[in-house]
Amino acid sequence: MAFDPSSLRHLFPILAQSAYDHPLTYLDNAATTQKPLPVLDAIQDYYRSFNANVHRGAHFLSDRATNRFEQARDTIASFINAPEQSHVIWTKGATEAINTVAFGLEHLLEKGDEILITSLEHHANLVPWQQLAFRTGARLRILPLTSNGKWEPEFSHYFTDRTRIFAATQISNAIGVSTPLQTMLDHAKQQGAFTLVDGAQAVAHYPIDVQILDCDFYVFSGHKMYGPTGIGVLYGKSHALEVLLPYQTGGEMVRHVSYQATEFNVLPYRLEAGTPHIEGVIGLAAACDFLNAQDRLSLLAWEQSLATHVYSRLHKEGGIEIYSPEKNTTLVSLSVPNIHILDLNAYLDSQGVAVRAGSHCAHPLMAQLGVAGTLRASFACYNTMEEANRFCDVLLEAIDLLNDE
Amino acid sequence: MTDSLGQQKPVNIKAQLQACRSKEETFKALVTLSKTLPRLSVEEKTEDNKVKGCESAVWLIMEENDGLRHFKADSDAKLMRGVLVALLSLVEGKTLADIQQMDLKAELAELNLSSYLTSSRTNGVLAILNKINTI
Repeated sequence: MAFDPSSLRHLFPILAQSAYDHPLTYLDNAATTQKPLPVLDAIQDYYRSFNANVHRGAHFLSDRATNRFEQARDTIASFINAPEQSHVIWTKGATEAINTVAFGLEHLLEKGDEILITSLEHHANLVPWQQLAFRTGARLRILPLTSNGKWEPEFSHYFTDRTRIFAATQISNAIGVSTPLQTMLDHAKQQGAFTLVDGAQAVAHYPIDVQILDCDFYVFSGHKMYGPTGIGVLYGKSHALEVLLPYQTGGEMVRHVSYQATEFNVLPYRLEAGTPHIEGVIGLAAACDFLNAQDRLSLLAWEQSLATHVYSRLHKEGGIEIYSPEKNTTLVSLSVPNIHILDLNAYLDSQGVAVRAGSHCAHPLMAQLGVAGTLRASFACYNTMEEANRFCDVLLEAIDLLNDE
Repeated sequence: MTDSLGQQKPVNIKAQLQACRSKEETFKALVTLSKTLPRLSVEEKTEDNKVKGCESAVWLIMEENDGLRHFKADSDAKLMRGVLVALLSLVEGKTLADIQQMDLKAELAELNLSSYLTSSRTNGVLAILNKINTI
């Protein structure tokens, strides 16, 4: 039986409101998802019953906070099937996780080494590598998507014996295209490169198994998977995390400090300087529990069916350019020739429909597509077929209103 | 309806926008207003004339005659052209001193255009106000 979003929509109180006298239709989930009651409750429960700093005090509240904090690490480790909880590093999001790796590997890079990324990357998985290349004399190389939105049948030549780092997104935030990750990772590993996968757009939708992916690093943000903002995860294999030089130092990440030297703590603490985002960690664990309690594949099938439905309705209309795939994606990214996406967005907003209009932090990809930006409707498990249809109806109204002919 | 510069009289614009009772009505009024804005030529759309900080491209040109300032502007987004019509109607033909004394933010808010005044990068109206005040 097909998944019914009403079975969990009531857990998202924020959705039951009006926007400008229209029912709020929230379709900006690739930017951030809404948070279910169990996540909100977990955050409040933390402050109401066990707020204390972790790993330090030896008192009742501190012990409770530390236990729950480290249990959360277990929860996230099993959520992505990491072999050990010490492989899970808390960061403030995917961006900080990537920066941690980019700074941490700097000491291993030499002039002429190559850093390979794809043309689908969010700026978060591009700028840190570009800047690392500037600092070290390494060369940033791009494995491009072809103009028709496909991958070249043969891309192994992008991976060379100078490829030291390969970083790729699992799914494009801007146009919903998936990368042939396993093949790419195989090529990268054959060249002995470090591999990083940006899972920011994947974790809310796909069950993740880092052992099957077999990448050195996997990063994601909590707020895109029904968790709080300001918390994210850097997963790494032991040897990969061990070689990272800490890019932030301070309290918590040390074992012994003198004026002459500092002995760093063991993993995961070595890469977690300062008091962590405890409420975020607790909330993220609750978000994992929420997702684990669902039939994830039926949620995914539902989200994909919404995107496919929108694709097929708008594809028929003509005059609408769709950049996302017809199937196997949870978002629809489009533009309308001669109508500005901000104008379309303004009308959708006036009708209570929240989408994203812009470059989606992917300027080079937009340049490749030949557009300044796209309009993106992205779906989450709580979205209904009525909402998918409402987006189509209101978008078509907007096009009518804005067309000059 | 239009004066020699091809721009609507401020009083009409004010009445039109103030009559809007919803975001949708404001949207439609701005679409209507946008059609009254004379478009700039390709030569006028220079990098220098561009207002930085807008996600839609906006160009603003000022000519001063006997101390009175006259503006021309354009955008690639239609709603922004509507906003520009409203905005320029407030400052057209005034002296710099007069313009600097105006609270343009408050005046735009009176025209139901507050939602265009957030600091979000989506709309660079603040950047335009800034350029009008400093050009």
